[in-house]
Amino acid sequence: MAHMLEERGLPTVVLALVLPQVEKTRPPRALMLPFMLGRPLGEPNDPPFQRRVLLQALRMLERTDGPVLLEHFPDDNPSWSDRPDWKPAVATSAPGLLDDAAAWQAAFRTELMTVLPIWERFKTRFGRTTVGLAGQPPEAWPAFATSYMQGALPTVAPHDTSALALRFLADDLKALYGEAVQADGGPPSARQIDWWFWRQTVAGQLLIALRDVALTSDNNALKTVGGRFFVPVPYLPT
Amino acid sequence: MARLDDIPEPTRTAVAGIPCPNFTTTPFRFGPRLSERRVAIVSSAALIRRGDKPFPFGSGEFRAVSGDWGHGDILMSHVSINFDRAGFQRDSNVVYPIDRLREMASEGVIGGVAETHYTIMGSTDPAAMVESADGIAAALLADRCNAVVLAPV
Repeated sequence: MAHMLEERGLPTVVLALVLPQVEKTRPPRALMLPFMLGRPLGEPNDPPFQRRVLLQALRMLERTDGPVLLEHFPDDNPSWSDRPDWKPAVATSAPGLLDDAAAWQAAFRTELMTVLPIWERFKTRFGRTTVGLAGQPPEAWPAFATSYMQGALPTVAPHDTSALALRFLADDLKALYGEAVQADGGPPSARQIDWWFWRQTVAGQLLIALRDVALTSDNNALKTVGGRFFVPVPYLPT
Repeated sequence: MARLDDIPEPTRTAVAGIPCPNFTTTPFRFGPRLSERRVAIVSSAALIRRGDKPFPFGSGEFRAVSGDWGHGDILMSHVSINFDRAGFQRDSNVVYPIDRLREMASEGVIGGVAETHYTIMGSTDPAAMVESADGIAAALLADRCNAVVLAPV
């Protein structure tokens, strides 16, 4: 995209996260960043750090010794490392595999009811939430999600298919729990949040179970979406 | 660089080995000092406004991100589940640094900030985005932008 915009008359600089891609595509100007995928400015709620990243990138626009300029940002973002003293804001325990849809629905609903008030604290503290893709409120999720275990293929606006409805419910579920667990204190690392969600919550276990349901479904869209877009590979059951 | 060793497989192999366009030209546009640059953001995070339909899988489209959207209205509809969302959950500036640009503009570090920014689905084949590049470039030039920060996720 940088190459195409530059061809069309616009000076560009890329905040780059993957060196092999930069080496292959050779964008006109790129600042290589040592941050994890998903956070090109590095550190949330740290304006001075974000400013350093952005300013180094913007200063590259003033260099005249291109084409093809590559600089490296020198520092990790502060919350890169795990915080050994971090305690999740929500006490949960994963149940392992449950017998049927009714048991999953009950366990998930119970857990969700304990998580929701803590999620409210996150929203108050940070003034925002990224939950909002599912097309329905959290209270509707337990019945909707577990209905797939009984063979149902429900839909809900704005999604056109039951595969997408479940996919974006999964996104919202991960977002709500991810936010709730950050409601208090300093930021844990992203790895700590992921491990907690996939190993310590009913919700994480439910998504793993729903992946199995999707993979054995006759609905090809659900099979594809469930197989690829519910559970990250590192957290698949071994 | 992002430590490839720290990206879990199979994402590590996928991002390192992803097919990339092989450009035969090296375009390079010059411009005025930073204090005279009007800056826009192009995000690959498939950002949407709360209530809008998510980007479809594999979409090559581009969409506008109006500068007047509140942080609580900005959602991410990118297809991949293999990158961090926790940073974005706390602060959308970690993906879409509009507040940082505005601060720099108010201090005179940059000349100004675009009225409207743009977003695409970064996992889509760039070959499917030629029309989007046309559309984004035309819109940004019409808005008198002379600097673009591309912020992939």
